[in-house]
Amino acid sequence: MDFAKTWSSLESSFRQIHTKETSEISFEELYRGAYRLVLRKKGEELYHRVVKFEEKWLSLDVRAQVVTLVSPELVAASNSTSIVERRFAGERFLKGVKQQWSNHEACMVMLSDVLLYLDRVYCIDKSIPTVYSIGMRLFRDEILKCPVASAAANDGTDQTILTLVIQTMLDHIKMEREGDVIDKTLLKSCTHMLEGMHIDNIETDEYRLYNYRFEPHFLQASRDFYAAESERMLRDSDAGAYCRQAKKRLVEEIDRCKSTLSEATMGRIERVVLGELIEQKLPELILMDTGVVYMIDNDRLEELGLIYELSGKVDDDKKELVKAVQSRIVELGKEINQTAMSPNANTDGNTLVQQTAAAIRWVEDVLSLKDKFDNIWAQAFNKDPRMQTEMTKSFTEFINMINFNRGSEYISLFIDQNMKKDMKDKSDAEVDSVLDKAITLLRFILDKDMFERYYKRHLSKRLLLGRSISLDVEKQMIGKMKIELGNTFTTKIEAMFRDMTTSTELTSSFRHHMSEIRANDPEMSARPIDLTVNILTSQVWPQELANNSNEDYEHRTIIYPYDIRKLTEYFTLFYAGKHNGRKLTWQPAMGTADIKARFPTKDASKDRVHDLNVSTYAMIILYLFNELPAGESLSFEDIQSRTNIPEGDLVRNLQSLACASRTRILLKSPASKDVNPTDKFTFNVGFKSNYTRIKVNVVASGNRVETDRERLKTEQKNDESRSFMCEAAIVRIMKQRKRLSHQQLLSETLAQLTHFKPDVAMIKARIETLIEREYLQRDERDSTMYEYLA
Amino acid sequence: MTMMEKEPQQPLSEWVTLISHDEFTFHILRSSANLSGTIRRMLDPKSGFKESVTGVCHFENISGTVLEKVCEYLYYKDRYQGMTNVPDLEIAPEVSLELALAADYLDCRAVACEGIMINVLI
Repeated sequence: MDFAKTWSSLESSFRQIHTKETSEISFEELYRGAYRLVLRKKGEELYHRVVKFEEKWLSLDVRAQVVTLVSPELVAASNSTSIVERRFAGERFLKGVKQQWSNHEACMVMLSDVLLYLDRVYCIDKSIPTVYSIGMRLFRDEILKCPVASAAANDGTDQTILTLVIQTMLDHIKMEREGDVIDKTLLKSCTHMLEGMHIDNIETDEYRLYNYRFEPHFLQASRDFYAAESERMLRDSDAGAYCRQAKKRLVEEIDRCKSTLSEATMGRIERVVLGELIEQKLPELILMDTGVVYMIDNDRLEELGLIYELSGKVDDDKKELVKAVQSRIVELGKEINQTAMSPNANTDGNTLVQQTAAAIRWVEDVLSLKDKFDNIWAQAFNKDPRMQTEMTKSFTEFINMINFNRGSEYISLFIDQNMKKDMKDKSDAEVDSVLDKAITLLRFILDKDMFERYYKRHLSKRLLLGRSISLDVEKQMIGKMKIELGNTFTTKIEAMFRDMTTSTELTSSFRHHMSEIRANDPEMSARPIDLTVNILTSQVWPQELANNSNEDYEHRTIIYPYDIRKLTEYFTLFYAGKHNGRKLTWQPAMGTADIKARFPTKDASKDRVHDLNVSTYAMIILYLFNELPAGESLSFEDIQSRTNIPEGDLVRNLQSLACASRTRILLKSPASKDVNPTDKFTFNVGFKSNYTRIKVNVVASGNRVETDRERLKTEQKNDESRSFMCEAAIVRIMKQRKRLSHQQLLSETLAQLTHFKPDVAMIKARIETLIEREYLQRDERDSTMYEYLA
Repeated sequence: MTMMEKEPQQPLSEWVTLISHDEFTFHILRSSANLSGTIRRMLDPKSGFKESVTGVCHFENISGTVLEKVCEYLYYKDRYQGMTNVPDLEIAPEVSLELALAADYLDCRAVACEGIMINVLI
């Protein structure tokens, strides 16, 4: 019979293929034989014969060889043998299995080459597995599923070659994780083997032995391994070392997938490692003694970078890290606030100076804190904009804390200090960086209107007393504020500068005007007094400039000496001629005067003459003594009633004239440090000084931290102007919208008021007053709606 | 240790020989011959069959006339593969049936299809 003859020739050749004796076999003969059988409709029979042949070959020949590979060390419980023994036995076993498989696989390739015609015509026609894939299935069923007698397999599951292969591979991976060197190529080819077969007859990737049988075990074993490792590391090492180890493990696992296992496992094992080492331990890790707080305090940038990187892998928002960083910023910020507030016990002169120093220190501390975190942000947090936002929030939080309401004042004082002193020896670039720092801090301030108030007050003193080192730098600062806070914020401040410029021009033209008058008026020319005037627009300059925190100052009229009054009258006329309809109010509180004082001796030619630079008030006081006969005295009350100077100013000016040792131009009896209403004053004829020019400083007139009472007043004033701004905003909104609900009106008003953090209660109160004043009305039917009344 | 590794890495000859049952011998470039699935497997050095060792393939069921046309086609395909506007390959009607069978056998069915189509066109 033709089939029997052909098959027996095929079969003997197949045997030769399996025993690797192929060089004498003619491919063409075999191929032609199979071709003929298929053409003669013997395909089915041929197919079954091939399957039978392979089955028999594997079960009789190969299986026996594989079973001999199972050594007692391999199946023994893992703790009863040494690692070296186990590794050796495992390697031998895996090598043997792999060898058998690759032999088999190569033979199946050859068989299916020879039987190509069978595959192409018969198998495809009948939709049955090709010769090659049936060969793979047979290996799986005959070899891998072969049970193994095992001493360790008393756990109920049946140990087979396959489970033994998986177990050995896992064992080797564990050895490698623990630092041993293993044969990666061997494991890789075992992986390849497990990828070459499927769990049943559906040949998709997810049903490959590797994916279905090996991978779950591998992931579980890894999970257990890393759970144990993370516990151990949390106990034994610091957070930095933990992060380094975690990162190293991640890299190792990725590498292992490439070199030892399948790249398809990469994502899954990464998730396992991240889950065990990071996700579950992150909160604990961050809060460790050596955690984020320690890293921040000791500038462990590299470790912070690691924490940042690892957190990012398990949580896009990095919530835990953000929380830790934020709370550290607020803590450190609170400490700075505390330090600045602590010398706040009483408010006499000396502590005021201390407080001012504390204010400057506060600014510097906050700046260096900012620098620190900027550095961390740039070096460790990869300049993550989200992190920056969160950190800015924290700075804003502690700078605007309810129990610390001095941020605005302190920043303004810091600028003041720099404008007056610290800028002197700095280069342009340094000046610029100081200004930028101030702006940086300003960004954190929520109540920008408070800052404006303080800034205007400090600026006004700098301008009027000529204390500013450079007007250019002042203007630079304004320019920066304009960019940062917008035009409206700086208009008034710019107006202050404009006033100063106009005043300079005005003064020089008045000087010219006076020289003409003196030419015609002998009385005036006898007493040539020079007047420098600063015309200040009252809405623009801070009002408390004039009042200077004295409650008894109520538009009182200072009684000027005749010469001065005459001069002011001339000026008033001159000014009215230039600007019709403007009202001038003289504000002597901020003025100064240069006077020549003559201290008589017996010989008139040897009289001591000094140039005194005094405040306007002091000049007025000294004028009284000018007209007084020698040796007579004036009481405090006399001076008060003859000058009408507010009491507080009077006391301070008398103190500087009569109590300061270097500028004791008046003598006081009784001599003491304080000025009392009953004191008497005489001209100090015996005054001596080594200097020709003497500056008489009025006590505590510089820019300094406010006292608590002053602060309260400042806040009151601020609230007033806020109320006004708030009302303006409400009216503006309602005029446009005509009709709005309470909630909408509230949120729009909040959105418009950007210069400070408005209080909802205040807005409500403003709405009420606007209703009373009939700008708005409530809807009669719906009381939550407001309507605008034109 | 696998078969592939055991074989010494000899450079493969550039030419191979195809012999028909009536002893016509054709020398043909290996790269062109490999365009036939059957010939490629036959000559695969990894398998180590006799043909792959000797570089000579006997075809007991193909005549010289047909094998000549097969070689012609393999060169034709090698040259024009993937190109457009290629010239026709002329096939005499009397060999077309045999050629189609050979194409099936040699696992280059394109010959059969194209051959028949070309035939019909002529």
